[in-house]
Amino acid sequence: MEEPILEFKKISRSFKKGRTVIPVLQDIDLQVQPLEYLCLVGESGCGKTTSGKILTGLLRPSSGQLFFEGRDVSTLKGADYTHYRRSVQIIHQDPYASLNPTHTIYNSMSFPLFRHKLVKTREQARARVAELLEVVGLTPVRDVIDKYPHQLSGGQRQRVSIARALTTQPKVIVADESVSMVDVSIRISILNMLMAMRETLGVTFVFITHDLALAKYFAWKGRIAVMYLGRIVEIGPTPEITLSPEHPYTKSLLSAIPEPDPDKTRTKEQIRLRSEDIPRLTELPAGCSFHPRCPWFVPGLCDKSVPSLEPFAASELRLACTPLSQGKGLNLFETRNLA
Amino acid sequence: MQALPAKSQTQPFSFLEKIWRNYTLRTVIQSIFTVWAVITFIFFLVRLMPGNPIEIYVNYLINSENLTYEQAYNRAASQFQFDPSASWLEQYFGYIGQLLRGNLGESITSTGTKVIDQIMRFLPWTVFCVGLALLLSFVLGMLFGMIAAYYRNSWIDNLISIIAAILGAVPDYIWGLMIIIICGVQLKWFNVGDLRGTFDPSLQPGFTFAFIFSVIQHALLPILTYVMGTVGFWILAMRGSTTSTLGEDYVNIARARGLSQGRIITAYVGRNASLPLFTLLAINIGFVIGGSIIVEELFVYKGLGSFLFWSITQRDYTTMQGILLMITIAVVFSNMLADLLYSRLDPRVRISGDS
Amino acid sequence: MNFLKLVWQNKAGFVGFCGLVFYLLIITVGQWVVDFDDDVKLDQINSPPGSRLILLTRPEDKERYVSLADLEGHSVGVLEKTGGPAFVNNYANADAIKVETYKWRSSRGVPDALEGLAKGEVDALVMFSKLAQRFVLDSENRYFQKDYAHLTISNSKLGPMLLLGADTQGRDMFTHVMNGGRILIITAVTAGLISTLIAFVLGTIAALVGGMLDRALVALANFIIVIPRFPLLVVLAALVTLNNWVLLATLIGLLAWPALMRAVRAQVLSLKERDYVEAAVALDLSQAHIIFREILPNMMSFVAINFVVAITSAMYDQIGLIFLGMAPINDYTWGVMLYFGRSRGTLFNADSAAMLLAPVIAIAFFQVSLVLFSRSLEELFDPRLRSA
Repeated sequence: MEEPILEFKKISRSFKKGRTVIPVLQDIDLQVQPLEYLCLVGESGCGKTTSGKILTGLLRPSSGQLFFEGRDVSTLKGADYTHYRRSVQIIHQDPYASLNPTHTIYNSMSFPLFRHKLVKTREQARARVAELLEVVGLTPVRDVIDKYPHQLSGGQRQRVSIARALTTQPKVIVADESVSMVDVSIRISILNMLMAMRETLGVTFVFITHDLALAKYFAWKGRIAVMYLGRIVEIGPTPEITLSPEHPYTKSLLSAIPEPDPDKTRTKEQIRLRSEDIPRLTELPAGCSFHPRCPWFVPGLCDKSVPSLEPFAASELRLACTPLSQGKGLNLFETRNLA
Repeated sequence: MQALPAKSQTQPFSFLEKIWRNYTLRTVIQSIFTVWAVITFIFFLVRLMPGNPIEIYVNYLINSENLTYEQAYNRAASQFQFDPSASWLEQYFGYIGQLLRGNLGESITSTGTKVIDQIMRFLPWTVFCVGLALLLSFVLGMLFGMIAAYYRNSWIDNLISIIAAILGAVPDYIWGLMIIIICGVQLKWFNVGDLRGTFDPSLQPGFTFAFIFSVIQHALLPILTYVMGTVGFWILAMRGSTTSTLGEDYVNIARARGLSQGRIITAYVGRNASLPLFTLLAINIGFVIGGSIIVEELFVYKGLGSFLFWSITQRDYTTMQGILLMITIAVVFSNMLADLLYSRLDPRVRISGDS
Repeated sequence: MNFLKLVWQNKAGFVGFCGLVFYLLIITVGQWVVDFDDDVKLDQINSPPGSRLILLTRPEDKERYVSLADLEGHSVGVLEKTGGPAFVNNYANADAIKVETYKWRSSRGVPDALEGLAKGEVDALVMFSKLAQRFVLDSENRYFQKDYAHLTISNSKLGPMLLLGADTQGRDMFTHVMNGGRILIITAVTAGLISTLIAFVLGTIAALVGGMLDRALVALANFIIVIPRFPLLVVLAALVTLNNWVLLATLIGLLAWPALMRAVRAQVLSLKERDYVEAAVALDLSQAHIIFREILPNMMSFVAINFVVAITSAMYDQIGLIFLGMAPINDYTWGVMLYFGRSRGTLFNADSAAMLLAPVIAIAFFQVSLVLFSRSLEELFDPRLRSA
């Protein structure tokens, strides 16, 4: 196996709010292989955005290490750190907030070019900015380059954010819900553009989304990691995850996706969760954090120990579920019995 | 469902921790701390300033009353309330001890008069005059601010906003001067000379019609001046607050429910929009005590501000110190009041520490 | 040009802008256009607005001598310190006129001069209208009327006009109003600059550094904010001699920053969480770039508006101190005019209204200009409003 370009080793991250400590990420292990399509999927509050920020170095992990090209990022200094810094970029969710409203597109994009001495003169900078804008499909460039963000549409702005992330010639781009706030009609074209960039520019994408359908489209040839309350519960090749998921949480997520065909949606197997409420991060249940909602809950097993991410059977999947990894299979838990 | 035992951090001062979490108690403690800081600041201000006032006063006594240095120093010590043989620290604690007993010292210029008595003589006039002005200004500001917000972006709004901006921009004493020059001296609507002081000195203070009329008459011009100087602020504050309230969902829903405009304005918009203004009002109450030195001087209105100025020109340092302390404490406690009021009105503030 | 177009968008702001340009002209070129004249002129004391010099002649010469040109080769009488000699000297053919000067010995000067004219010692008298009014035309002044009633005014429009009249020492108010704003405005702007700068620097540091430093700075601001500023200023002015404007501006500036500092801190706290700031961090742009190019431009209109407000409040404090007599009165500023108006009682003199109203209006209009102009600042600094 190739050396991963980015790697999480036992990364945890918690935030302090007043006196309470909120554990947002717990013991995450994750490898990002060069040029792979990797998707982080989960509900809001599952820690996927925090993972993205740790990947980009915008947040430091509370514990654990982040490796970039095999080297611990926290030990990188000087030129090495700058190299990492420039190599991993982020595209934010909200195209309305990610561009500084006081700068023109040219200004926003030329700052990093000058800062990293990628260009020397204004002419070079303009040419480079124009080139990048063409890459992201903002043509004709002269209609855009001297505009302010508020004069562009949401989709155009998102393309500018992507172009700006490309200014430092990154190897990895973390796309954090990058199309969720763009009009549905433009989503696919932006996704296609990102996928094309992988081929032409050799950029690895880590795609963060709450939308399994998008993840499926984007990472069909790659992997999906499903996150729940600060942990990865299942990770594996996209076709397996989306067609034959094993982990109860992934199963329930998939069953909740409405299909374009209403008949299909209606006939789809509905998984009834035992509870609709997502536990608070400050009051995480003991054992598997999904157990209060899990339809296949095994009393005395799931609520005792925290399951670790382990290879599952013969498949390429790795998942964190105590009954499954003990080879017990899933049996629907009868809530009535309990009551 | 089993809850993971929350990581209970063992706090050595869990008792203090508990007090700190109580919003009211915390606010009160912070205010007391601020008052202490102010007392300390003023204590050292008067003693450490270039040209130490005590030394100046001692020299003054030596020259004017032919006292020896020793005698003069002892006299100064008794008026400034410190034991000359005591160290800095002892003096400081002595001073605080006196303050705790409500003793602000004796006036330097009028020997034998207690500063606190003097303050109590002038304070009511300022509270009456500025307080009434504040109330009037607040009510007018709410009214016009709401009108402006309701007709926002129309000519009425523009007119009110511009007038409010102009009223607020020009210093209050400049309005006072204009009133005196234009209405008093030129148009002769009133005789400025007769309206000096807090009431007609030929009248006996008491609950007589003539006396009360005279009091109101004398306070009228300062009140008008204060109102002109402050109403602009209230109008703009109320306009801003109302405009943002009008955009709230619950107002739109009330409209959708077909409630009458009048009811929406009074019950929905007016009430919610004026809440932040009451907090501002509470803060401003503190500044009532200090009055305005300039306006009171201009109209020769004998309130606390004018008394402070008098004590400054007379270099009556103990009085000066006492009044400054008094008005600052008033501000601290009105701030505290505002904080508490706000926490009552908006529960999010009170329990923010717990979430 | 673009700038003017932007200001024009907000009509009130435009009015304020014009006002500020006007004041800028006054404090820069005003002093060369209108000289500051501090000479006491006894003959024009308390002159009403519009007063000017007149030419007084005997009735038979009324038609003959109506201007200085008619008086070439003749003698003209002037009173000392009327501005008369200077006026006659300024005349192109001044050499051709014989000038007779009458000394202003206490109050004898005017009768002497009138007597000189009546007796034919001089052919005409250049005199200040206020005086002529009092000694020649005033029906109440019987004594003079009896002796000099036959003297007539042949030209009532000689020499420059006192646009705003003269003060209690006969000094032209207009020149004083034109010259009395410079030091005030410079002091107010300096004080505003000091307080805005302190507020901005401390607010930004508190927000970005956080922790103990943040708490200490906020506590300091909260402490200063509760001490009523103006009374404290007056007390400080009594303890320190505020004898130059730099000291005055510094003191005002040092007491005025806390409210703005707290607001700046809140702004920076909110702005530093924005996505574009995070993107700048990810792009490895420098700290300085992030503060000055990403955060600052987004609060520029806020800072600018508060800078303007700081100037107005510095003006309030400053003129208040001067009005109470607690600040330097070496320069004859608008504030000092008000101070004299109060301390010399002219405030209550119906004739001297212009004397006090002139500085009052000058101050009021300056403040109003600033506040109105501040309404344009938002459009100037926010590109989202610019092109709308």
